[in-house]
Amino acid sequence: MTTSLRPMSVSGSARLDLLVSLALVGAAVALPFMVDSRYVLGQVVLALFYATIASQWNLLFGFSGIFSLAQMAIFAFGGYATAMICFYFGWNVWAALFPGALAAVVFSLIVGLACLRLTGVYVALLTLAIAQTMYLLIVTDTECFVMVGSICRQLTGGAVGFARFGDLGTREFLKGQWLVGNYAIVATLFAVTMIATYIIVKSPIGLAFKALKDNPGYAVARGVNRFQAQLLVFGISAFFTGLAGGFYAAHFQAIGPGILSMSQLMFIIAIAVVGGVGTFWGPLVGTIVLVAADELMREAGEFRTLGLGLIIALSIVLMPKGLVGRLGDLVRWLRRRSGAAGRSKLRESTATAGE
Amino acid sequence: MLNRRAMLHGFVGAGAAGGALLADMNRTAKAQEGEPVHVGSALPMSGFAAADGIEFKNGLELAAAEINAAGGILGRPIELHIEDTKDQGADLVSQAMQRLVDRYNTPAIINGYNLGTNMIEMDVAADNDIIMMHYNTLISHNEKFKTDPERYYGSFQGDPPEFWYGPGCLNFLKTLSEGGKWTAPNKKIAIIPSANEYSIVIANAIRDKAAEYGFEVSLFETVPFPTNQWGPTLAKLRQDPPAAIIVTHFLPQDLAQFMVQFLTQPINSLVYMQYGPSLPAFREIGGASINGVIYSTVIGCLPDEFSKAYRESYRAKFGPNSAYITGSQTYDGLWMWAIAAAIAGDPGEPFDKEQVGKVAAVMRRNVYRGVNGTYRADPAGQSAYCYPTQVADPSLGMPHQFLQHQDHTTDPKLIAPALYATDAFLLPPWIK
Repeated sequence: MTTSLRPMSVSGSARLDLLVSLALVGAAVALPFMVDSRYVLGQVVLALFYATIASQWNLLFGFSGIFSLAQMAIFAFGGYATAMICFYFGWNVWAALFPGALAAVVFSLIVGLACLRLTGVYVALLTLAIAQTMYLLIVTDTECFVMVGSICRQLTGGAVGFARFGDLGTREFLKGQWLVGNYAIVATLFAVTMIATYIIVKSPIGLAFKALKDNPGYAVARGVNRFQAQLLVFGISAFFTGLAGGFYAAHFQAIGPGILSMSQLMFIIAIAVVGGVGTFWGPLVGTIVLVAADELMREAGEFRTLGLGLIIALSIVLMPKGLVGRLGDLVRWLRRRSGAAGRSKLRESTATAGE
Repeated sequence: MLNRRAMLHGFVGAGAAGGALLADMNRTAKAQEGEPVHVGSALPMSGFAAADGIEFKNGLELAAAEINAAGGILGRPIELHIEDTKDQGADLVSQAMQRLVDRYNTPAIINGYNLGTNMIEMDVAADNDIIMMHYNTLISHNEKFKTDPERYYGSFQGDPPEFWYGPGCLNFLKTLSEGGKWTAPNKKIAIIPSANEYSIVIANAIRDKAAEYGFEVSLFETVPFPTNQWGPTLAKLRQDPPAAIIVTHFLPQDLAQFMVQFLTQPINSLVYMQYGPSLPAFREIGGASINGVIYSTVIGCLPDEFSKAYRESYRAKFGPNSAYITGSQTYDGLWMWAIAAAIAGDPGEPFDKEQVGKVAAVMRRNVYRGVNGTYRADPAGQSAYCYPTQVADPSLGMPHQFLQHQDHTTDPKLIAPALYATDAFLLPPWIK
């Protein structure tokens, strides 16, 4: 009975994921036709970036149990690498995106190696230190590397960062509708990231990540190579995060050290926590909830930050598994209830038949 | 997708003559009905720069009230809309500006400063065909404008770029020394920026021009942001005392702490600081330790007779502790744009490149004397000219003001440029 039910429940979950995905694709395609406001479309693009970064942090922490705080540093690394390739070598942005993502992977693997012997809060401390060091190295870079007009430009862009290194080309092709073009590109990036994440999570290597998170000792005893798995998850997560960083720099035509601020990192973590850490749809749901709440509280002035804080605090207290986790509990409870009702009906009908 | 923009493009393409006629009729109707002119501003109303954001908002409110009392722009009152840019940066600022355009159809956005934007504001202005005036004080505005003047026609920087702090500060020291008011013990200067864009850009500008003015940089030390532990830096300064210490870190509490710690064992160096000394907190925290400190600004309300009415109205409306020196920037910006819009015949609206272009042309042509001094757009970069470093004529450039705290119980004194100065430079009390 149990063995016959398991494949059904798995395929049911996959079917649900497929349905949700199709609905999201439909909504994503319809959005530019329904929204006239550049602002709204711009916010959606920004939200898609947040969701992409959060989904990769979720892969790292939610599915693999590595509490890294270097996520924005990896994002920034990808963005900086893309911008620097374009700025110093005159490459087209599209050509620089992939090398930029690969540079982020290399950076992340170095971070991963440094964290290999650490666990829990020590990983958090080390990765945070790496991110802060990166910030300080950039903003304190004051040596003139090259003169651009009357501006002295530092190798890393210094406290100013990089700008005017190129864009995604949509302004040239789509003129006034360039934002719709950028939206389509970023939405595709998000979709590809989510599909890749889904495949990884459902694959044997995804199970290895989960095993290492749930019981590292047992997982290693059963033959899971912690060294390989940890480096792999750092690399995969960094590729998509770095790629998103490149697209972010190209979309805004600028990247600066401000992206490494604590508030940006905290917002990404809050997205994953509110949506549900360790759940596939959590980062997307968290993004929708927090970005929408932020937008709705725009007129609340100084209470806006307080409101966002309250949402995050309530979510942690009332929904430790996040919104998606709570929704999963609800679905399971309803299933149990309907199952119990079905069994009691069966008993009743058997009894009636017996009578 | 058929939307308002597509319709507008189609409309202009279909018949320019008919479109112009309808637009003229529409404008006349708007003026007759007294329909408000929506003006936006993307300001840091929360986050670390909120104190300045509030003053920028105050400046706009005072200007709007005065303009409306005078009849508005061709009979149309100004209605202000503020968007919070929080911790700033390219993403938040561009989105805040776009929201103003989408929601209120603002033909103009008058900002104070926003940090870390890489001048993305100019792209928002260009994409929407609006006027954007700001006080970011960045040479990157000029550089970006030069790349495509036709695209960035609507972007104006209301003050000279920070680049002029470098030669301006060095020129001030040189003039002071040559005029016999201060005897420089040597040709050394120490530059102390903190780890942030504003501070480092100014420090670099000073360092890069030092040799041209006959100075030698003996120490260039970047300190953390924020910081109040000045011990290690002071030890280096005491080991090799320079003629002048130039601190480009800008937080008033930290700068006040620098002076308190410096005076425990002072050296014969002039102390020049950036921005922070203009704020009341600097005097309150530093007390008598701050007497003698020099600072400068390329934008700020002049303490002259011309700005007296503004200063009094500002303090009466926003309280005795309000910083009119900051609010004066957006105050002048709004007045300047409103006059240009009236001369052009209409403020225009987003995507109306023809009319907005007319307003921009007036802003380029006009020379405006505000409470901060004279705004004249440098055609090469569409920023204000800087007097006296960039232009020799004070009626055609914004004064780079040098102020000195001579008595911590009163306002700082304007000691340069000479034509604007209200007081003479005094040798700091620690210099023997």
